[in-house]
Amino acid sequence: MSSLEEILTSAEKLLHPYALNFNRPEANRLDVYLARENLLPAVKAMVDARWGYLSTITGVDRPASAGEEGQPAEQGEIEVLYSFCAGAAIVTLRVRVPYTDAVLPSICPLIPSATLGERELMEMFGVKVEGTPDTSRLILADSWPEGVYPLRKSFVPAARFSGKAEGG
Amino acid sequence: MGLEVSKPWQQVLDKIRTWARVNSPWAIHFNSGSCNGCDIEILATLTPRYDVERFGIKLQGSPRHADVLICTGPVSLQAKDRLLRIYWQMPEPKFVIAVGSCGLSGGVFHGCYNIVHGIDEVLPVDVFVPGCPPRPEGIIYGVAVLLEALKSGKRPERTMTVEVPAELGVPKVEVSQ
Amino acid sequence: MTFEQHGENRFIVPIGPQHPALKEPGHFEFVVDGEIVTGASVRLGYVHRGIEKGAEDRTWTQNLYLMERICGICSHIHATAFVQGVEKLAGVEAPPRARAIREIFAELERIHSHMLWLGVAAHEGGFDALFMYSWRDREVVMDMLEMLSGNRVHYSANLIGGVKYDVTPDMMDKIRDGLNYLEERLVHYLDVVNNDETFIGRTRGIGTMTREQAQLLGAVGPTARASNFAYDVRVDAPYAAYTEFPVEMVVAEEGDLHARFVVRILETMESIRVLRRIFDNMPESELVTRVPRRIPAGETISRVEAPRGELFYFISSGGGEKPERVKVRTPSLCNWGTVITLAVGHKLADMPMILAGIDPCFSCNDRLVMVKRNHHDPQLWTWADLRNYGIEYYR
Repeated sequence: MSSLEEILTSAEKLLHPYALNFNRPEANRLDVYLARENLLPAVKAMVDARWGYLSTITGVDRPASAGEEGQPAEQGEIEVLYSFCAGAAIVTLRVRVPYTDAVLPSICPLIPSATLGERELMEMFGVKVEGTPDTSRLILADSWPEGVYPLRKSFVPAARFSGKAEGG
Repeated sequence: MGLEVSKPWQQVLDKIRTWARVNSPWAIHFNSGSCNGCDIEILATLTPRYDVERFGIKLQGSPRHADVLICTGPVSLQAKDRLLRIYWQMPEPKFVIAVGSCGLSGGVFHGCYNIVHGIDEVLPVDVFVPGCPPRPEGIIYGVAVLLEALKSGKRPERTMTVEVPAELGVPKVEVSQ
Repeated sequence: MTFEQHGENRFIVPIGPQHPALKEPGHFEFVVDGEIVTGASVRLGYVHRGIEKGAEDRTWTQNLYLMERICGICSHIHATAFVQGVEKLAGVEAPPRARAIREIFAELERIHSHMLWLGVAAHEGGFDALFMYSWRDREVVMDMLEMLSGNRVHYSANLIGGVKYDVTPDMMDKIRDGLNYLEERLVHYLDVVNNDETFIGRTRGIGTMTREQAQLLGAVGPTARASNFAYDVRVDAPYAAYTEFPVEMVVAEEGDLHARFVVRILETMESIRVLRRIFDNMPESELVTRVPRRIPAGETISRVEAPRGELFYFISSGGGEKPERVKVRTPSLCNWGTVITLAVGHKLADMPMILAGIDPCFSCNDRLVMVKRNHHDPQLWTWADLRNYGIEYYR
């Protein structure tokens, strides 16, 4: 069994042609920043090399004007994280798309189980995933309004939790 | 049934009905979005240590056979319609027991966007069993309180009525002579 | 109504969200041709509460209790994954004794979860005697957990920076006694699962998944290990006290339902063994370290092995009192893909067993949902159709 360092280095080598930037936030993690058009080739490189498995797809909302709660941010980006795990090593492919053009290619042709994560992205963040096998309503209730994306920072639940922080 | 009986007979029949209902209530269980904690405790009441069947209580799969709806969870938006549908399908008289803190008020999930914060927002609840989750003894006690109320002939007070939509109501079957 | 008028003899059998065979709400549609299932789909979301959003409104400590209530069966492991991530962000490490106590709770929880599953899965197979017996014995574990924490289901053992409860030598002795009894019972259950003819008839060769399929479909936990896909976070990336008190991975080759029973029972026995090792070599230390109220900005990933498989937390802090984003990926979600694929070709009567075989936990994965629909338009009975049919039939 190769060491953690070797596993991560092998991933770095695989992804070198596509990456904008590399980062090592923790000993067992490698963050790879990608441009949108390099997402598919990068995932393909990982799958072809049989590097670990896709653990999850995470969306993170990054509004441009942070702060000002309750004020819908007009501009901002959605960052999408594709986390691959192999043993203790985690490689995260990070792609950013702006609100105005929140479109990503589907990686389902390469990794069928990615469909869950991609649907979550569509419903919770309003990212359009092109080519994903199913686009019907999935997570949210049938009565949920169209075009409201609960995990965006601009969405504020009607009955908001107001518990005071303990310790004052 | 539309059976016409004289008054004394009616009283006897009512007594028999109450006796039967108190001694063998059939319950249906529905999870409307809870964390499963209450549900495994409800299931635990069936198993040998707690064994509610000794009280004649039976967990029943079909709402059409059930007297008591034991419901858990803060009622997610998606489960709300199904919960109402189960309630409509139950024959009268029917009773609802809300189990767990989140079934009472939303509990720890207060402020989450996809819930309606409590079963009593949707259905008329007869007995509330607090706890996160309540112990099996607590759930059994909740049922016992309901049965006690039934025994004395008192119906728990209803503060709300649930309208059954016309298309789901009692079908009008024309009986040919 | 005749079957012929629809050309193909395919029907959809809807199961759920409320159904006698399901203890939790989920909606399944099985396309059947006679008795054989030719397609399957699932619609969840009945238990979706919006916890990930709710987490952004709560402080780090409040979130601990919210995360615990993602799932009532594996509540401790959710809280463990969360606190470990937060501790990593804060740059602190829980003291050795606290980490050992976390492992004690986690393994006790695994025993309770696997015994619960054994009962439920047997119940789905119509073997109610095993259901009652395993749940009776499960009460022994529940008593241990209650003794340790004061609650049967949500133990709240974790704090950010440590644990709340100590395990005294007195408690350890009581737990040891309980474990001896449980081990004896588990040997018996293993014997039942391996030798009871009717039970084998319902499990052997049913829902078989090869190692390649498991890998492709993204199976995790005992479901994957029963298909010889050797992967366990406790072994591959040890957390808590798993470096000091390691567990051995249990794998099976067959990949069928029977293998999943065997793997889970053997895993329970392994948990008992590791618990004994911890009790014999319990480290001495404080229970909690100090953690600042504001967690430094940063991102981390925390992975643990829940009873059902790998649990994945992504935690992002903006440097404040509340997290910026918490993403939870639960093991049940990964395993749904396997059910949908495995169902095809089996008898309808085997469906509850196959569903139960992955030990699905709806409340875990219903913060998310998946649907796999076959778009080749078989005749679908709506509720209204079924109702009318029923009225017509009984007229």
